[in-house]
Amino acid sequence: MADKSKLGYEFPSHLLDVEKGKIAEFAMAVTQTEAPNPIYTDETSAREAGYPGIVIPPTFPTSLMFRTGGGLMGVVNALGIDLGRLLHAEEEYEYFGSVCAGDVIMGRMKVVDMFEKGRKARPDQLMEFTVLETEMRNQRGELVIKARSILVER
Amino acid sequence: MSIKFADINVGDSMLPYTSLPITRTDIVRYAGASGDFNPLHHDNTFVQTIGMERVIAHGMLIMGIAGQAVTTWIDNKNLRKFNVRFTAMTEPADLNDWDNTKQRATITITGKVTHKFEENGEKKIRCDIVAKDALGGTKLLGFFIAALP
Repeated sequence: MADKSKLGYEFPSHLLDVEKGKIAEFAMAVTQTEAPNPIYTDETSAREAGYPGIVIPPTFPTSLMFRTGGGLMGVVNALGIDLGRLLHAEEEYEYFGSVCAGDVIMGRMKVVDMFEKGRKARPDQLMEFTVLETEMRNQRGELVIKARSILVER
Repeated sequence: MSIKFADINVGDSMLPYTSLPITRTDIVRYAGASGDFNPLHHDNTFVQTIGMERVIAHGMLIMGIAGQAVTTWIDNKNLRKFNVRFTAMTEPADLNDWDNTKQRATITITGKVTHKFEENGEKKIRCDIVAKDALGGTKLLGFFIAALP
């Protein structure tokens, strides 16, 4: 059961290099192909398509977020979450600017809410929710992405 | 291909997108790419201890597939917000029973434009999306907002 005293807890901020190889690997994983859109693998194609460089796929910030908290296990251990009951309930990204290979992102993740809710079918059985928000700023200090994740222990 | 704001109407459908059947190899590849090594997604001895029959795909892999669907229709740089709620787990196809299990692991993303509006000097659309497997099971519900030229 998540430790309610962690509400408001801010994980130590973390610098993350956005690596070109990691972007390509991620794009291949979500497209199930060796040849994803070249904006994710080739600098020239990305520039021709109007990006400052090789750009990240929309859900790539999930990998930045998990590294901020010391990986999933780091997050789970820090918050006292029961891994055997853990599921991902919701995920949201707001995009304020492009993130490209070579950028250095500062990720700051915070526990913004913790609450309980009864199951639809069994209102006496409580599910526990933990809401994490991560702000990502680039090397120029610009807020580029805000991520919001809701985890549930069922 | 760059979709223009003027060419989109409320009620228009997003270009549908269908994944390949998700295999355990796809799941492992996504684990490595994303850094999410929850054993729920690759370790059968772990899932058995929590009473499950087999590993499941990361919800974020399904969202990643949805992201690919969205950015096949609109440009990556036009995306402003992307939100999903996970509604069901996705089990991978079994290589030793492919024909009977590939449907549960094949994800199709569809979407419908629900709003057109202007905000912060940008012309935006909001589009609801849904991901379903080939048996009709809903995996996630969500929406995205994009600023269009």
